[in-house]
Amino acid sequence: MTRLTKSLLFLVFFAAVAIGFLNRAAIFRYLSGDGSGAATRVAGTSVFLPVDDDAAGFARAVEPGAIRFPDDLGPHDDYQTEWWYYTGNLATAQGRRFGFQLTFFRRALSPPDADGESLQNGGGSKATRPSNWRTRQIYLAHFAVSDIDGGRFLHAESFSRGAVGLAGAAADPYAVWLEGWHARSISPGRVALHADSDDAAIDLVLEETLPPVLHGDQGLSPKGPEPGNASYYYSIVRQKTSGTVTAGGRQYAVTGLSWKDHEYSTSALSTGTVGWDWFSLQFDDGTALMFFQIRREDGTLENASSGTFISADGTTRHLEKADWRLEVLEEWKSPESGAVYPVKWRMNIAAIDLDITGGAMMADQEMNVSTTYWEGAAAFTGFRAGQPVTAEGYVEMTGYAETMEGRF
Amino acid sequence: MIDGNIKPLTDAPQTALAPLRRMAWRRMRHRPLQYVLLICGVAIGVAMMVSVDVANHSAGRAFELSTRAVAGRATHRLMGGPSGLDETLYTALRTSIAGLPAAPVVEDYVVGRDMGETPLRLVGVDIFAEPPFRGYFPLGADGIADAITHLLTHPAGIVMSRSRAIAHGLKPGDAAILTHGGREIPAVIIGLLEPEDDLSRQALDGTIFCDIATAQEMLGMQGRLSRIDLIAENPALLDRVASMLPPDVTLEPAAARGNALRQMTAAFKLNLTALSLLALMVGMFLIYNSVSFSVVQRRDLFGILRCLGVTGGQLFTLILAEAAVLGLMGALLGLGLGVFLGRFLVVLVTQTINDLYFVLNVQSTAVATITLVKGLIVGAGAAVAASLPPAVEAMRTTPRSNLARSFLESRSRKALPRLTAAGGLLILSGGLLLKLPGNYLTAAFGGLFALLFGMALLTPAVTSALMRTLPLIAGRLFGILGRMASRGIDRSLSRTSVAIAALMVAVSVIVGVSIMIGSFRGTVSHWLDATFQADVYLSPPSLSAGRVQDALDPEVIELAAGLAGVKKMVTARHVSVMAPEIGRVVEMISVDGDVSGGGRRYLFMSGDKKDLWDRLAAGHGIMISESLFHRENMAMPPSPVLLTTESGFRRFPVLAVYYDYASETGTIMIGRDLFRANWNDDRITSMAFFLKEGTNAESAAAVLQERLRGRQNVIVQSSRFLRAAALEIFDRTFTITAALQLLATIVAFIGVLSALMSLQLERSRELGVLRATGMSVGQMWRLTFLETGLMGATAGLLAMPVGWVLAWILIHVINLRSFGWTMEMILSPGFFIQAFAVALAAALLAGIYPAVRLGKMDISRAIRQE
Repeated sequence: MTRLTKSLLFLVFFAAVAIGFLNRAAIFRYLSGDGSGAATRVAGTSVFLPVDDDAAGFARAVEPGAIRFPDDLGPHDDYQTEWWYYTGNLATAQGRRFGFQLTFFRRALSPPDADGESLQNGGGSKATRPSNWRTRQIYLAHFAVSDIDGGRFLHAESFSRGAVGLAGAAADPYAVWLEGWHARSISPGRVALHADSDDAAIDLVLEETLPPVLHGDQGLSPKGPEPGNASYYYSIVRQKTSGTVTAGGRQYAVTGLSWKDHEYSTSALSTGTVGWDWFSLQFDDGTALMFFQIRREDGTLENASSGTFISADGTTRHLEKADWRLEVLEEWKSPESGAVYPVKWRMNIAAIDLDITGGAMMADQEMNVSTTYWEGAAAFTGFRAGQPVTAEGYVEMTGYAETMEGRF
Repeated sequence: MIDGNIKPLTDAPQTALAPLRRMAWRRMRHRPLQYVLLICGVAIGVAMMVSVDVANHSAGRAFELSTRAVAGRATHRLMGGPSGLDETLYTALRTSIAGLPAAPVVEDYVVGRDMGETPLRLVGVDIFAEPPFRGYFPLGADGIADAITHLLTHPAGIVMSRSRAIAHGLKPGDAAILTHGGREIPAVIIGLLEPEDDLSRQALDGTIFCDIATAQEMLGMQGRLSRIDLIAENPALLDRVASMLPPDVTLEPAAARGNALRQMTAAFKLNLTALSLLALMVGMFLIYNSVSFSVVQRRDLFGILRCLGVTGGQLFTLILAEAAVLGLMGALLGLGLGVFLGRFLVVLVTQTINDLYFVLNVQSTAVATITLVKGLIVGAGAAVAASLPPAVEAMRTTPRSNLARSFLESRSRKALPRLTAAGGLLILSGGLLLKLPGNYLTAAFGGLFALLFGMALLTPAVTSALMRTLPLIAGRLFGILGRMASRGIDRSLSRTSVAIAALMVAVSVIVGVSIMIGSFRGTVSHWLDATFQADVYLSPPSLSAGRVQDALDPEVIELAAGLAGVKKMVTARHVSVMAPEIGRVVEMISVDGDVSGGGRRYLFMSGDKKDLWDRLAAGHGIMISESLFHRENMAMPPSPVLLTTESGFRRFPVLAVYYDYASETGTIMIGRDLFRANWNDDRITSMAFFLKEGTNAESAAAVLQERLRGRQNVIVQSSRFLRAAALEIFDRTFTITAALQLLATIVAFIGVLSALMSLQLERSRELGVLRATGMSVGQMWRLTFLETGLMGATAGLLAMPVGWVLAWILIHVINLRSFGWTMEMILSPGFFIQAFAVALAAALLAGIYPAVRLGKMDISRAIRQE
């Protein structure tokens, strides 16, 4: 090959390289097998103006004795926040223990309008027929199975809007659902629960044994010193439960006890509060106990912290913050969130002559979803009225990984 | 010159070519024009190819991007009937199949009033279903609560790309007006999309997101979804989905629809590419011509060099290298020019796609590296390939014969029969390629090129024959000079015939394409006149000129129906339906009467023409358009067409195949009752009115317009305006063809200019002798013009039949296969006269410069070599 040819070849090569350099990305895409030059995924995020999170315009819980059944089993869209909380402690005939949580949250994105209309007028024209998707109610649901003996905590979260049948709640017949997950009345006093995720599922029937328990002042449960900073709160406790739990690909026939909370409010934690600890225990003597303590930044407890003791016949006794002493015996640090949670306590409530010790059936029951909190099966033993008792139940602890101030 | 070194040059390869190179350079400096023209020819040829490539690629990429912007990671999608699918299906899927990522989408094109007049894709999504599909609204991210709240609670909230918002001076909180189907929709910008990279920015610039409720209300699609996106890699999951589907819903891979759209435009793009290749072919002729000239002119020099010991191989290298350098320069210039031209071409291509196929919003031109590399290689390659024959020639000939002037001519004359035979063979194979059964467009283009090239090869023989008979006539007309001119052309046939062939090819392309466009336009014009017999037409505005999909408001219909002076009214509903066996959606028009009032023409008809429309109205079957018939290679008579109705698959017998030039992808016509029985859609898209005798269409249109003022924005047209508007769209569609044709003409012109100029300049010694023996300057001018004029005329004459053949192929093969349209060939003498004039003008113009130069020549210097 002569020099001229060589230099020409070089020139061509150089030109090609130069063009390639200027158009590197395209060459790369071409080499990666896509001549159209659009192999990379179209990606981006969005930015919105911050929403003025004003609770004005929502209804507030102010009136003792306002709860009516069955109407109040259903949703209360005028209140900003609402939840239906199912927890339960189950076991197979062989004694393999499970815990489950299935919670439906409802949140109203904006207060109802004075005329109750304007949201329904998309497209700006009054003549426009509203879309069935148009709603200000959104639902989210949390589902968890604690496979105590398998050492597995399987949890999932789901969102949807309260429209076109994707999610919603109804009073009579009672139902609350989010897509495939639901709690649905199948006959008076009996509710079917269903939820499934990639690695867990529950199919349970819950049977009422006691009438609903109204917490606080006839169902009005204050959350802070401000008037209206309260919720309507009732529970249906000691529900006889049977069905199946699926975990890790295996299905187990189980029985046990479940607890339902239903709470709706337009309230948020007061300034200076960081979160709460909530206990629900069902004793082997037929009684049950619920109390929550709202923690403040300075380590003290909010005065509104309170509880209810339910005796075996369903009569209740209100508990004040001063009534209990709770001593943390053990803590656990979540490897995922880094939060440190108490997992073992000594509980002393003189008012009902209770002295028990116990804690999480397993430490890692941290819900790592859009909100990080701990919600898990727990067991206690000790004495009540001088008699030995054991209790199983659920503990919820929020505000350890992030402050809950201003949320819920 | 060679430093007195008598040793064989091959012994010193380092320095051997240096003097040759210097020599070549010196020559370029002395004869710059010839080389400039050569470079220009290559440049324009390459530019055309590159610009078409750029336009095609940009349109393709815009389509790709707009698809990707909303397709996300979906693997499958559920598509419904003409009005989408029922939203309850989504709820059913969501609540009964756990773990199935599914997302509902409601979308259509809108135009933002203060966002540039381009169509934007309004995409309504459910933010809770989005995360697995599109990452624009990640749940769990900071600020997502704001996103959810704004999207769900703002009844008219839209999210647009930050760059588009900035470009139009918009910011969150601002109000904006969108228009859709003639309706104005107030909207408020509630958020901005932040694309991750530049590509995403381009993709998202043409997209507006909003909540699905907002989209349904804005687009009037309450209760319906455009589609449901799915991610389902697991066949078992897909089976479960399929088992739940109502009959009118189809499950298809996510890419299917995009592929169908791509295939629709494939023929159009291939046509453009072929046109650009045609230009390159003309360009190659010209390169061959120029290079072979530069070799022929230097044969004395090469003879001397060979005598001095320069090897044939070295000469070969020199010639090739020279061509490569020039070709490369031309190609580089062509790349720049091509990218520049591409920007204009993109607009035309986009317009055509919008008119004929679907809404496309091209944000920017995209230049693929492969386009540039291709242009570079083709440009330089064409130059090298064209110079190969003369280079081989120079290498093979002995030093002695190189010096002989007559050698080349006599040899090429000997080659004439072979050349002619090769031409004949090419024409034959081209014909066979065109006759190939099936609908292969590439084969058709192959045949076209073979035919054209074959005819070019026949040019020398025809020219020679012509020039031998011509002296008799030319002599009578122009005297001795006439005879000299025609004999001169015949004598140096090896050079003249190439120039004539190049000009012939270029001009025949002009003739062919002109006839094709002219015939097409004539056909469409006749069709418009025959088909649109009603007097006044009413329809909502549409983003895609070829189609209307938006329905008329019921109150508009009511008002319009009360128009006075109406004899008969015909209403139509335009929808898209899935044709499973065709594998794509087909446009369907449900009608309750014939707008042509019986004037329509049919390719096929079953039964009697008289009761055809009665049978259509009675629901005996459907009619299909000719383009659908041809595109799908249907048998004659067509077998019943399978369509997806609301109650499942159903076959519809074909009553007739009608001519239709409105849709390139084909349409189906169906009677009103049959349509409503199978598709749950009672809306109306357009209305046509036949007026009573003596009622003026223009004034009736004006009255109707006035009646509808303040309602839905609709278009009221009299038939005259409708036809004019349709022809306008037609002309717009062919702007790109005309533009490419113009470029091809320029290439041809430059080619001929350079070829003829070289030819004349090469003859300076011969003319010097003539001048010395008493020829006047005026006579010499005349001789020059006679020669170039004769050549131009020959090319022009030959181009007429070749152009006619080309037009015939374009009309009866290429267009029929590409678009499925039958056209009647309309031959206007204007096309031929124009072509002949172009050839002659180019040839005469090419004579000016040589004539001027030769007129100034120093006779004694010119003949000194003798």
